[in-house]
Amino acid sequence: MQRREFLKGTAVLSLAAALPGAASAEVVFAPRPGAWRAVDLVTKITIEKPDGKMQAWIPLPSVTASEWIRNGETTWTGNIASATRVRDPKYGAEMLHVTWKEREAAPVLEVTSRIEVRDRAVDLSKPGKVAPLSNAERELNLEGTALIPVDGIVKQTSDKIVAAANARSDIEKARAIYDWVVENTVRVAATRGCGVGDVAAMLKTGNLGGKCADLNALFVGLARAAGVPARDVYGIRVIPSRFGYKSLGAGSANVTRAQHCRAEVFLEGFGWVPADPADVRKVMLEEPPTNLAISDPKVIAARKTLFGAWEGNWVAYNTAHDVALPGSTHPRLGFLMYPQAERASLLLDCNDPDNFKYALTAKEVKPG
Amino acid sequence: MLKIWSGPERGPFSLDDLHGNRRDLRAFAGKVVLVHFFATWCEPCVSEMASLQRLATMVREKPFAILAVDVAEVDLRVRAFFERQPVDFTVVLDRDRAVSKSWDVAALPTTFVLGTDLAPKFFIEGDLDWSRPDVLAAIESLYPAANRPQGQTISSK
Repeated sequence: MQRREFLKGTAVLSLAAALPGAASAEVVFAPRPGAWRAVDLVTKITIEKPDGKMQAWIPLPSVTASEWIRNGETTWTGNIASATRVRDPKYGAEMLHVTWKEREAAPVLEVTSRIEVRDRAVDLSKPGKVAPLSNAERELNLEGTALIPVDGIVKQTSDKIVAAANARSDIEKARAIYDWVVENTVRVAATRGCGVGDVAAMLKTGNLGGKCADLNALFVGLARAAGVPARDVYGIRVIPSRFGYKSLGAGSANVTRAQHCRAEVFLEGFGWVPADPADVRKVMLEEPPTNLAISDPKVIAARKTLFGAWEGNWVAYNTAHDVALPGSTHPRLGFLMYPQAERASLLLDCNDPDNFKYALTAKEVKPG
Repeated sequence: MLKIWSGPERGPFSLDDLHGNRRDLRAFAGKVVLVHFFATWCEPCVSEMASLQRLATMVREKPFAILAVDVAEVDLRVRAFFERQPVDFTVVLDRDRAVSKSWDVAALPTTFVLGTDLAPKFFIEGDLDWSRPDVLAAIESLYPAANRPQGQTISSK
């Protein structure tokens, strides 16, 4: 079964490669749950200019969703003094917390996680029997966070979007919000990292530019404000897209700057449904020849697909917000998608991997 | 353009500066204080910093202070930024956004000009050339009478 499904995926790639002219007329972007792909994701940290107390926190793949991600073994090596696998009590986000001796001359750590992933696609025309969210899960995925309030301007904007679309059911509301984010935001290449995700500030200023942590956080906040459970899923692209989208996959085995957060909404009859309006705007900005119109076939295909499906070329870390780093006095982080480290008790700049230093590599391996 | 502030009072705050020393806004009472919210990733903020330094130099002898509040960045990044681009005024760190949230700062840069009683008098969301004569005149209008240039009045237009 897995062999046949793998061949199906390969056939799509071959067709696209053989008919580049046809690709623009009829873009194929059709992730389907099928063959699993496995990767070894390696995070290597070297603390530059070691000084005083030094510690680091490495996000570990910890989303539990056996239909599309299987988290395998995590191992680590380095000249560390201690290593503790820590679980965020609220969201279940896991991280490896390591410390070094104060006089360690060249602190180094290498963490390797094996993950298996596959495509997701939900047929939104056919609701089925899906267990409802527990009250606790529902509450967790409807509440505001430090950067994603669900009242005030977020609620007002959400209400306007829902009313303008005359959306009544959760699926109609989520779809209307997805379309609104696609049509009203913009990806800004100059944004540091994946953005901050300060949703209220975005709406107050009318500056709806940013990257995935901004645009998908906006989707999540607006959905939650409409009463639809939603969550950001923070992760990293690890494999090129097999559908030919250069902007939607890892460009090489070096994935140091390939962090990407996606989103999900919980819809009755369907369960957790993937959504990624930020990647629609990424296709518009970056997909060759770049600056594509919203009417471009590649954008249309991405927009149609990325509400209900996503490609399994990306690994999820967690769905956590307002994350405390154990052993640090630094304020909680808006999200945990990058390696974090402290030198002399001061947090290093996680958006500056060259000076931090850290590097991530992803190598595809045989599943199982 | 500087706007006359008509909103509510803004509360005092106390934050660490780049050297880890606690700095309290209330210690600046009696001076006109420019509270400037910024981040080093914000392009307009970076160019505006030079303009603030020009202002600091121009009004060095006046009862005036600039308090630049970095919003939610790691200390090391902010320190590195000011090592490359030193300034004469105080820079403090709003690490958890508590002050920028309580001052209802939605965009960066945002600047409040406080009177000597530390109440906001002017406000601007966006960058500004702080060495412009009309901007200087607005600031000077807030000085105690003895420090104010002759004939200077505040205008609400």
